[in-house]
Amino acid sequence: MEIEGYNFPEGLYYEKNHFWARVEGDLVVMGMNDYAQLMSGEVVYVALPPIGKKLTQGKSFAKVESGKWLGKIYAVVSGELAEVNEELEENAKLINDDPFGKGWMFKIKPENMDELDNLMTDPEEIREWLNAEIAEHGVAS
Amino acid sequence: MSEPLELSKKYQHMVTQCSRCGFCRAVCPIFDITKNWATNAGGKMVLIKEILDGKIEPSEGIAKSLLCCTTCMNCTTNCPSGVDPPEVIRATRKDMVNLGYDNMFKAMSDVIAKTGNIYGEKEKYDWGHKHERAPYVLFVGCVGTYREEESVEETINLLDILGVKFTMIDEVCCSGVLEDVGYQAHKNLAKHNIDEFHRTGVKAIITTCPYCYRVFKNHPFYNGLNLELQHITQFLAKHDFKVKTDKKVTYHDPCDLGRHAGIYEEPRQIIRKIAPNFVEPERTRENAMCCGAGGGFRGSSPKESITIARTRLRKIMEETGAEILLTECPSCLHNFRNAKLRRWNIEIYNITEFIGKLYKEMDVRKNVAA
Repeated sequence: MEIEGYNFPEGLYYEKNHFWARVEGDLVVMGMNDYAQLMSGEVVYVALPPIGKKLTQGKSFAKVESGKWLGKIYAVVSGELAEVNEELEENAKLINDDPFGKGWMFKIKPENMDELDNLMTDPEEIREWLNAEIAEHGVAS
Repeated sequence: MSEPLELSKKYQHMVTQCSRCGFCRAVCPIFDITKNWATNAGGKMVLIKEILDGKIEPSEGIAKSLLCCTTCMNCTTNCPSGVDPPEVIRATRKDMVNLGYDNMFKAMSDVIAKTGNIYGEKEKYDWGHKHERAPYVLFVGCVGTYREEESVEETINLLDILGVKFTMIDEVCCSGVLEDVGYQAHKNLAKHNIDEFHRTGVKAIITTCPYCYRVFKNHPFYNGLNLELQHITQFLAKHDFKVKTDKKVTYHDPCDLGRHAGIYEEPRQIIRKIAPNFVEPERTRENAMCCGAGGGFRGSSPKESITIARTRLRKIMEETGAEILLTECPSCLHNFRNAKLRRWNIEIYNITEFIGKLYKEMDVRKNVAA
């Protein structure tokens, strides 16, 4: 679905630090949303922490950097880091090129899948939150 | 037609001094990855000469080409004709900005003026260590403050362990980098730093960033400083440490510390005290290849800048087989850490950060033994 001109594919969960989540078997895959990747510009670096790192929902655990911006990456659910997208090491721009596909960032073994219920799925809720973000941070040029 | 460039006679002479031999190509970190002559020193000298001779007009493309320089000075060191290309390039960048070719750094100048740092960050980690009076002030700069905070924390930890009485100040960007990319440093920011230094009654400034060190030492805005200035490697060279590592250690000379400031020995004096198994890379000291972060290149071409760091890091690993790469520059550290691939078996630290970490490990071992 398109919200305010940005792509928010259906079936995903969205959290308010601009990351998305998707269930894949017993893992949760996460990446950066369309608005964030456009606002940041070309991503040049993503920190890929060691597998097994303990994560807490809503807490930052890594950094992402574009030429003009450095941001924190927040865990979409609590759990253990199960996999990182190693292709991002040499081609971080995949996050811009294909944010919901090849640009995925991490896979997490969640402690509790129910935490996904804390994330947004309702288009109207996403629209309201996104409009507030646009009002604060502007639109991608 | 009026003169398109206002280069001083000194720089115009340098441009004509270039014999176009191409020796600068082999040492230019950008040519190393592009193989494009317009991106290295000799190519730029030709472009500038042709503008000066009225054969070509300044253009957006030339402005972009001029940004392709990390001002690492490796070309200067290796130029048989005695040309100092980074100085000519810095001056020409200013001319191009004056001609209206904004090279994206206008935005950075505005951000520095507004926020006091190069990234426009609004929040700053507070390490504490703010005292009314102290003999030393530790100045860590923008990259340390906003990109390599954990490294700075270990450095502070080390100074505490060594019993150094120091304070930190409400520092703002030295803003010297703006002079590298065609703009002017901000006098009010320099005044803020100078006032802060004097307020604490310090006798000496210790910088972790070799670029800030150069700016404090050389920029006219800091002429009134009248304080002793030391890079942290100079300050610590006289100290003894109670820790050692058996690991194979190597060292990357930051361009700002080495070629620009002439500080080669002190980092090595420190490393030899803590790492008996120290090995030099093939290209080292005044011939060290740049990490790709300087001269505004990390800002204008971040992807290529990281590629240069990756190339340098790969070479260092191949040449030395080291397990630990040390440097003492937050920009080099940041670029190398961004460039390192997970499968590469090397750890990267600032020297002071590494020693701080060794002390921490020693404490852990003592606690376990107790």
